Amino acid sequence: MALFPVQGIFDGDFVVLLVPVDTDDPMTVVAEKIAHHVVGRRVAAQDRPMRVRCQGEFLAEETTIAEANLAPLDVLEVVYA
Amino acid sequence: MPSLARSEWYDLTRDMNWTLSYVDTEQAWPQDLSNTYGIPAEGWWGWDEPYKITYAEYVHNQVGKDAGVYSVNSVIGRSRMFDELDPGWKSAIIAHYGAIAIPEYLAGIGESRMGRFGRAAAWRNMATFGCLDETRHGQIQAYFPYTLLGKEPRMDWAHKTLHTNEWGAIAARHLFDDMFTANDAVSTAIQLTFTFETGFTNLQFLGMAADAMNVGDLDFGALISSIQTDEARHSQQGEPTIKILVENGKKAVAQKLVDHMFWRSWHIFALLTGLSMDYYTPLEHRTHSFKEFMNEWIIKQFIDQFRDFGLERPWYWDEQFLGELEWYHHALHLGIWTWRPTVWWNPDAGMSPAEREWLEAKYPGWNDSFGKYWDVITANLRAGRAELTLPETFPMVCNMCQIPVVSPSGYAAGFLKSPAPLLLDLEGRRYIFCSEPCKWIFEQNPARFKGHLGIIDRFLGGLIQPPDLAGALAYMGLSPEECGQDATGYAWAHPNGKA
Repeated sequence: MALFPVQGIFDGDFVVLLVPVDTDDPMTVVAEKIAHHVVGRRVAAQDRPMRVRCQGEFLAEETTIAEANLAPLDVLEVVYA
Repeated sequence: MPSLARSEWYDLTRDMNWTLSYVDTEQAWPQDLSNTYGIPAEGWWGWDEPYKITYAEYVHNQVGKDAGVYSVNSVIGRSRMFDELDPGWKSAIIAHYGAIAIPEYLAGIGESRMGRFGRAAAWRNMATFGCLDETRHGQIQAYFPYTLLGKEPRMDWAHKTLHTNEWGAIAARHLFDDMFTANDAVSTAIQLTFTFETGFTNLQFLGMAADAMNVGDLDFGALISSIQTDEARHSQQGEPTIKILVENGKKAVAQKLVDHMFWRSWHIFALLTGLSMDYYTPLEHRTHSFKEFMNEWIIKQFIDQFRDFGLERPWYWDEQFLGELEWYHHALHLGIWTWRPTVWWNPDAGMSPAEREWLEAKYPGWNDSFGKYWDVITANLRAGRAELTLPETFPMVCNMCQIPVVSPSGYAAGFLKSPAPLLLDLEGRRYIFCSEPCKWIFEQNPARFKGHLGIIDRFLGGLIQPPDLAGALAYMGLSPEECGQDATGYAWAHPNGKA
């Protein structure tokens, strides 16, 4: 359990964000943490689940940051499924 | 009275080169400071500036300029002219003074380096005048805002900005150190005087002077016009330097120096001038859009110059540069407004219905690309949720231009293939780039750039404490009273007057 910085991009937003997540966070939580800075602020909310993508590959919802073998400042994209 | 006509003594005094005998060339002109790019000493002696002036003429002209512009400042200082200026325009000049006043003074270092280490006497003569010019520009652009301190305390950022770690100040220092304070004489002539001054600022100052007069800011208009007359002269050091390089088979050197600094100049120009022209200038006084200005003045002139000197358009011209012309400064505006507490001026959203119509007319598709963000922001303000318009984290910042990475908006607008930043892992450190040209500039000379810490690197490295937005604002030298706010108190979001 440790703070872990990622570069977060929410689909449709305009900027790449520095988002602190936790190594124990599953992708569902990672998606929420990135969306927190965007949805309802610049991008309208949608009633659909969100998914996390890294280098073009979707990560399973239950996979944690630690299990995904990510490096600090890897780029994670959040999209509505 | 002089007994000789000017033409009989001018060349002797301005262009007396000689062969060294007491020291060797490297001692007199060290490569790090001069950099001949392999051209022998005599190869530089044909350097010939297109605009000629004597010291007596220079002093006479400058005294007249100063007398005129300081008189305007003195008279206007007793009026209410500044109080009645549009809030957006005030923001534009507060931003300008903070970003430009001290860098102008620093440009005197670049000019004096050319004045000592330029390889032709005529060039050193011209650069000495340039050094005096830049010293004047630093002083006058510190003094004018100083006279406005009683009306706008943040005018002290004219002097303060470059002495802080505010993110824009870090970006400005990184750029200007690269361009002139830490550059050799030949590269400075190409990158500062040819690319930045001839290409961008000379024309920008003409445009800003006209805009200032349109909005009724006679003080700033007189100031900028006065400065521009100096820029038009000393910026001409680039042209003869490029000619020498090209004539001696060093066209590739000149091309690379231009490609490097054109991109960097474009990014800072989009940030400062793009926002000023398309968002901060009152709608009724906008004579052209930023894109129209770029096309009619900057791009046309550069294409003419590339042709005249036998240079090519930079490799990124069509795909990256002309693409960014459509979206980049709109994204920066949204970013600056969102992170408004981190700047020393009050960003003007410029989002009234009439202003949005103007943006859509000037940039067809703007509503679909950028208006949609402002729709959500406007809805939040109308619902009393202003806190949702303020940031809770930081944007990633490019390790070259030091400007927030807004590539997702270029992707969303259909101009980029991916929203992701470009990454470079080097010697155990990850570098982030907003664009291919920024990454390319870094990769041309990693040793020059790799040690620099951007604002996000400093945050992640523990240099900013406490590690949150409040800690970052304190680190940037911004007290709560100095942090930027919406320039009109969100009036644009309430066109019917309801707040």
